[in-house]
Amino acid sequence: MKRTILTTTALATFFAGPAMAQEATDVLTTYANIAAAGYEDSLITAEALEEAVADLVANPSAEVLTAARAAWLAARVPYQQTEVYRFGNAIVDDWEGRVNAWPLDEGLIDYVDGGYGGPSDENELAALNVIANASFTLSGTEIDASIITPALLEETLHEADGIEANVATGYHAIEFLLWGQDLNGHGPGAGNRPWTDFAAGDACTGGNCDRRAEYLTAATELLVSDLEWMAAQWVEGGDARAAVMADPDAGISAMLTGMGSLSYGEVAGERMRLGVMLNDPEEEHSCFADNTHNDHYLDGLGVQNVYLGEYVRADGTVVSGPSLSDLVAATDPALDTEMRIRLSETMRELGQIVLAAEAGFAYDQMLERGNEAGEALIMGGVNGLIAQTQTIERIVVALGLDTIAFEGSDSLDNPSAVFE
Amino acid sequence: MRLATFALIVALPSAVAAQDHQAAIDAALNNHVLPGVTQLAEASQALALAAEDCMSPALVAAYHEAFDAWVRISHLRFGPFEAENRAFALAFWPDSRGATPRALAQLIGASDPVIASDYASVSVAARGFYAMEFLLFDSDISTRGDAAYRCDLVQVVASDIATTTAAIEQDWTRTHADLMRMAGTNDRYQSQTEAMRALFNALTTGLEFNADIRLGRPLGTFDRPRPNRAEARRSGRSVQNLIISMQGLAELSAALTVAAPAINADIRAGFDVAISELERLDDPTLASVADPQGRFRIEVIQQRINELRELIVTEMGPSLGVSAGFNSLDGD
Repeated sequence: MKRTILTTTALATFFAGPAMAQEATDVLTTYANIAAAGYEDSLITAEALEEAVADLVANPSAEVLTAARAAWLAARVPYQQTEVYRFGNAIVDDWEGRVNAWPLDEGLIDYVDGGYGGPSDENELAALNVIANASFTLSGTEIDASIITPALLEETLHEADGIEANVATGYHAIEFLLWGQDLNGHGPGAGNRPWTDFAAGDACTGGNCDRRAEYLTAATELLVSDLEWMAAQWVEGGDARAAVMADPDAGISAMLTGMGSLSYGEVAGERMRLGVMLNDPEEEHSCFADNTHNDHYLDGLGVQNVYLGEYVRADGTVVSGPSLSDLVAATDPALDTEMRIRLSETMRELGQIVLAAEAGFAYDQMLERGNEAGEALIMGGVNGLIAQTQTIERIVVALGLDTIAFEGSDSLDNPSAVFE
Repeated sequence: MRLATFALIVALPSAVAAQDHQAAIDAALNNHVLPGVTQLAEASQALALAAEDCMSPALVAAYHEAFDAWVRISHLRFGPFEAENRAFALAFWPDSRGATPRALAQLIGASDPVIASDYASVSVAARGFYAMEFLLFDSDISTRGDAAYRCDLVQVVASDIATTTAAIEQDWTRTHADLMRMAGTNDRYQSQTEAMRALFNALTTGLEFNADIRLGRPLGTFDRPRPNRAEARRSGRSVQNLIISMQGLAELSAALTVAAPAINADIRAGFDVAISELERLDDPTLASVADPQGRFRIEVIQQRINELRELIVTEMGPSLGVSAGFNSLDGD
C-alpha cells in the first residue's frame, strides 16, 4: 500500500515567484544531499558488514560472530535514517523491498524451533528451509538450489509464490542468520544462534553450515550492491536527485509525503501500534537482534533530519543547508514552531523507549499483555507520530500544495501502480 | 488550456463559503456519524444481551446486526475510533499472519482466566467482530476445547464489543462532535477545513480499503487468486460488508456536498452502479475470484470503486477546497 499525496505534473505552481522557486530548489538540494550522504553511509557500513561476514565464514568463532553482529547494528544506524525517503520517492519505494522487507517467515531460510509451525494457509513456503534443501518445488517447478547465489535469493526465493513474508534478502534476512530466532518470548534476550552454526566439519551445529555461510555471504553481497545502486541515484546526475529537482512543487510534496507516510501509516501504525495491540514479540521490527527500539528512534530522527535540513554522518561530519523549516517559517512562523515542537516531542518519546530498552527493559517485554508501562512507552511514541502527522498536513495546506490539480495521476493512468 | 485550468483552480477556494463548510460538517455529523455510532452502540448492547445464551440462534442474528452497524461507519478511523485503539479492538482485519485463530486457540487451549478479569488487555486479534466470527463460524475454533469456556469467551467478546462501542458513542456525542462543529476555535481542528479534511479523508480511505483490501486481497493475481483471504467469508459476509460500506460512504459523500448537491450527482450515480453490481454478484464470499468469468466481474467492480475514488479526489475535493491527508494504508 504505497502512495503519494501528490504525484505527476502540477498545473498550478505554488513556488511560482523566482525567489520562492529558488528557495524551494535550495531546500531540495539539501534534501538530496542528505539522501546522498545517508545512502553512502549505508553503503560504507554495509561494506564493513560484508568484511565481517567474510571473516566469520573464513574463521568462525564466538568473537568473530559478535563482531559481525556489531557491524550489522552499525549498518542500521545510517540506513534507518533514510527510510523517510521511501514513500515520497518512487525510485526508493520500488527498491526498498529488496533491502528492508519485513516481517519475514524465517523458516523459508533456515531451521526454526518446533513451535514455529509448518506451512500456513497464507504461505506454503513458510517452513521451506532452503539452507537444508538443495532442491525444492516452487509453484510446480523444480528449483535447483544446490549453490546459493545472489541470483537465487533475489530472483527465485525473494517474495516466492507472491508472498511478501517470503523475505530472502536484505537486512532482516541477514539479521536472522547472525542472531537466529529469538526464543525468549516476552522475556529479555535476543536470538542466540551459536557461532558453531558456521563451523566446519564435525563442529557444525544446525546442519549445512557451508550452505548457511553461502547464504549469508550471498545476502550480504546483494545488500552491498543494492545500496551501491541507490547511493548512485542520489549523487549529482543521479535519477532520484533529478526527479526531486525537476519541479519544486512536486519535490517539496515528496518530502512531506515521505515524512507523513513514514510517521503515520508505517511506524506509528504498522510497526509500533500493531505490536502493542497484538502483544506479539514477533511484531518487533528487528526481532532477532532486539534492535527495534533503535529502528523506531532512527526513523523518527530521519523525519526530523529532513525537516531541519541536517544530518550527522556516520563519521560525525554534518550535512546541512536551507531547510523545509526555513521555507515554512517564511510562510507561517507559528506553524514552523509547532512542527519543531512536535518533532522534538516525538524524539523525546522515542528516546524514552531507547533508554528503557538499553537499561534492560527489552522491547519484547514492553509488548507483553498487561504490561502497562511498556504499552504507555510505546503509545507515547505512537501518539507523538500521529500528532506530528497532523502538523505535516497543516504544512501541506499552508504551502498551498493541497489545492494543486494534476494532469493525471498514477491511479487513473495505471491503477496497479498505486497499489503496489 | 493550461492557463484556463489554473484560473479555475485559483478561483475555487473562495467559492467555498464558510457556511457551506459548516453545513457539510453538521450534515455529516447529524446524518451519518452520530446516528451511526448510536446504532452501533445499541446493536452491540443487543449482541451482548443475546450472548447471555451462547447457543441461541438469536445470537447469530444479533451478531450480524452489530457487524452491519460497524461496517457502515468503519471508515471513520480518527478521533474516538483511533483513541485507545478502539477501531482495532473492534476490527482486526486483514490478518495476514493468522493472529486471530492463533490467539483464540491459545486462550481456549489454556482456558486462560483472563476472560474473568481484564479482557481489554488481550491481543486485539482475539477481540471484536472478526474474533467473534471465528468463535461462531469457524469449524475448528467453534468446536475446540471446553464448550463452557468457549461460551464464556463468546460472552466476554460480545460484552467487550459493547463496552468499546459505548465508549465510541460517548466520545462522539459528548466531545468530538462539538470539536468538529466548533472547528476553528480549538486546537484539534484549527480550522473548518481541517474538520472537512478528516471527513473527506475517511471517505477516500474507505473507498481505497474496499478496492484494495476487501476486493484486492482475495483477487490476488490472475495466476494466484486468494479466495481464502476474502473478508468474513466464514459468516458469508464478504460481499455484504462491501455493500454496507458503500452505502455508508454514499451517505457521507452526500452529507459533505449538502450545500452543493450538484457536485454529488455523478458521484451518487457511481455509488449506485457499484452497489447494484455488488448486489447482482450472487457470490457472497467472493469465491469466484478463482474462475476467470467471476474474476472478471469482480475486477470490474474494483475498477468502478477506484474510478469513484478518483472522481471524488479530483472533483469533490477541489470543489470543497479540501484534499485527503495521510491515512493508515500509507505504510506497506
